[in-house]
Amino acid sequence: MNELAILYRYRQLIAALTARDLKARYRGSILGFFWSLANPLLLLGVYSLVFAVFFPPQAVRPYPLFLFAGILPWTFFSSAVLESTTSIAGNAGLIKKVMFPAETLPLVVVLSHLVHFALALPILFAAMAIYAGFGMATIPLTAALVPFLMLLQTIFVAGVVMCVASASVLLRDLRDIIANLMQLAFFITPIIYLIDSIGSRPLRALLRLNPMTPFVVSYQDVLFFGHLPGLADALLMLFYAFVSMAAGITVFDRLRDTLAEAI
Amino acid sequence: MTETHVPDFAIAADRVSKTYRLWGRRSQFATLKSALLKRDLKFSPEAMVDAVRDVSFHIDRGEAFGIIGRNGSGKSTLLKLISGILKPTSGNVQVNGRVAALIELGAGFHPEITGRENILINGIMLGLSKREIESRFDAIVDFSGIRPFIDQPVKTYSSGMYVRLGFAVAVHVDPEILLIDEVLAVGDEEFSQQCIAKIQEMKFRGVTLVFVTHQLDQVRKLCDRALWLDRGATTAIGDPTRVVDAYLQEVSGTVEASPAAETEAPAAKAAEEEERWGSGEVVLKRVILVDPKGHELVALGAGTGVTVEMDVEVRAPQEDFVFGVGIYHADGACVYGTNTEIEGFLPQRLDGPGRVRMVIPSLDLVAGTYRIDAAVHTRNGRAFDYRRGVLRFVVGSRVHDTGVYRPKHTWKFDGGIAFREVDNLQRNVPATVAEALKNKP
Repeated sequence: MNELAILYRYRQLIAALTARDLKARYRGSILGFFWSLANPLLLLGVYSLVFAVFFPPQAVRPYPLFLFAGILPWTFFSSAVLESTTSIAGNAGLIKKVMFPAETLPLVVVLSHLVHFALALPILFAAMAIYAGFGMATIPLTAALVPFLMLLQTIFVAGVVMCVASASVLLRDLRDIIANLMQLAFFITPIIYLIDSIGSRPLRALLRLNPMTPFVVSYQDVLFFGHLPGLADALLMLFYAFVSMAAGITVFDRLRDTLAEAI
Repeated sequence: MTETHVPDFAIAADRVSKTYRLWGRRSQFATLKSALLKRDLKFSPEAMVDAVRDVSFHIDRGEAFGIIGRNGSGKSTLLKLISGILKPTSGNVQVNGRVAALIELGAGFHPEITGRENILINGIMLGLSKREIESRFDAIVDFSGIRPFIDQPVKTYSSGMYVRLGFAVAVHVDPEILLIDEVLAVGDEEFSQQCIAKIQEMKFRGVTLVFVTHQLDQVRKLCDRALWLDRGATTAIGDPTRVVDAYLQEVSGTVEASPAAETEAPAAKAAEEEERWGSGEVVLKRVILVDPKGHELVALGAGTGVTVEMDVEVRAPQEDFVFGVGIYHADGACVYGTNTEIEGFLPQRLDGPGRVRMVIPSLDLVAGTYRIDAAVHTRNGRAFDYRRGVLRFVVGSRVHDTGVYRPKHTWKFDGGIAFREVDNLQRNVPATVAEALKNKP
C-alpha cells in the first residue's frame, strides 16, 4: 500500500492543490464561487421544467427532488472522471520538471469535485424545504446518512480516476472514449427513472451491473424515499469501492515510472 | 581521471543508462496494455535513443559539480535521473539528502492565482510544510524583489518576475542537494548576479550543487569538478578548467588535443600539484616570480613589488593569442585573474621566443600560501599551454589580519576615542605581556 503512504505524506500538498483548483476556477469571474451553487440550481430548474412540463406525468412526485437526489452524485462521478483524463497530461510541466508525486493530481480532481458536490447539497435541502412548506414532501431523517454514502462514493471515484488519469497519458483516445461512454452511462443508470419501473427482468439485472447504480439508488433512498439503502446495494457499494481503489492503486503503480516519459 | 570512492557521498551514479523509446502512432495501445501486463516494457518500439550511456560518478557532500556538453548530449536527462523525475533503464543512482531541482523555474506556478498563493503551493511541492513556508515568506519575497506584485495573479507577471519568484522559492527550501538546469541564463544581469551570489553562499554552507549549463565561465568559476557528456557517454571528468578546455578544443574543431610535450619544466618541478594541458603550439617554458631587482622569489612580505615572468617558446606562429595570469589562495579562491585580452592588448605577432612580464608594483596580500596559474590560449579559450598551479609562494606578515587582500590603509581617531600605538614588533604579543609593557614606568 505504498500508494496510500505517498498520498498521506503529501496530504498538505493535496489540500493546497485542491484549494488552488477551486480558487483558480472562479478567479476572474464576476459571480465567483457562487457558480458552484448556480450550476446545480440551473440544472434543477431545467430538469424540473423538462420533466414536469414536457413529459408529465411522472411516477414519482415531486419529480424534481427525485431527479436531483440522483443527478448530484452522478455529476460528481462523471465530471471527476472526465476531468481526470487531462489531469496528468495537463500538468506536464509538473511531472517533467519538478519532483512531483503524480498520484496527487487525480486525487485533487476527485476532491475538488467532491467540494462542488458538497456545495450543491444545500440547494437540494433548500428545495426539499420549499416542497415541504407546500406539504408535498418531507426532509427524511435518513438524509443524515449522506456523508457515509459520500465517503464510499469518493473511494470508488478515486479508484476509477486513478486508473483513467494514468492510462489516458499513454492512450490519449481515452478522453473521447470516456466522454462518449459517459453519455451512454447516464441513461443506463437509474437517474431519470426508477429502476423498479423497468419491466424486463434481464434489463434490470443489467442495470444492476452498472457500478454507479447502487450508489445512485442509495442516494435516492436516503434523500428522497426516506428509507435505508438495501443490504444488496450497501454490499455492492463496499465491493465496488474496494475493487476500484485496489485497481486504481495497481494501475497507477504500474504506470507511474513511465509517466514522465510518455507525456 | 580516476574516481576515488568516498563513502560520504551526496550522489552516486553507478553505470547509469537511460534509453528513450520512440513510439509510432499504432504502437501506443500496445504501450498501455503491455505496461499493465508487465512492468518492464520489453517489446519493440520504432526506435531507441540512448540518452545516457553507462555513466558513473560520485559527488561528495558540499561539492559543486558541473555537467557540460553539446545540445542533446544527455545533460538534462542525467539531471532528471539524479532528481528521480526519470528512472534509469539500467544502473542506479543513489542520492543522500533533500534534493531541490531547478529544472524550470516556476514550473509549478498556476497563472490564475496570486504570487503569494503560488509561493505556498510551490514550497509545499518542494517539500516544505505550510508553517515553514510562512516563516520564510518574507525572505522569499525580498529575494525575488517583486513585493509590490505579490498579490497579483501570476499571469500578469513578466517572464523575468516569474523566474525571480521561482528561483527565490527554490533556494529558500534549504536543500542539501541543489540541481540546476540552465536556469542562470535567464533573467537580467542583475538577477543573474544575485543568483550566482546565492549559489555561492549555498556552496559555502556545504550544499551539494549540480549544474547543467552552457555558460562555461560559470563552470570554471563555481564548480569543483566537471563532467563532459558527449552523446550520453562520459568524455571527461575532473578539474573544471581542464574539462572545459578540452570541451572547447573539441567544439572549436581541433583534432590535436594532446597536452604540451614534457620537454621542460625546470622552475616548476617543486610544485607537485601542477596540472598542465594544451595543444603545445606555444609553450610557457618557465614561469617564475621575481622581485624588482630580478631575483627569484618564493616568499615575500606583504606589499612588496613582484613580477610574474614567463619565458615563451613558439613552435608554430600564432595570430590569435592571449597571455593570462591567475593568483589563487591555497584554499582555491581566486584572488585575482587577468589576461592580455581583458586589458585591451590586441595580438599582433607571436612568431619567436620571448618573455612576458606582468609587473605588480605592490602585491597587497594577507599572509598565507598562494598559487599562480599561467596560461597562453586563443581568445575563445583554446589552450596552447595552461599551467595550473605552476608556482607557489608564501606571503609573510607580522600582522595577523584576515582575508586575502590588504588594501593600503591607515586608521584615524578623534573625539573621545584614543589608542596608544604599539611598535610593530610588539604586536600580537599575548595580552598579559602587553599589559605589563603598558604599565612599565
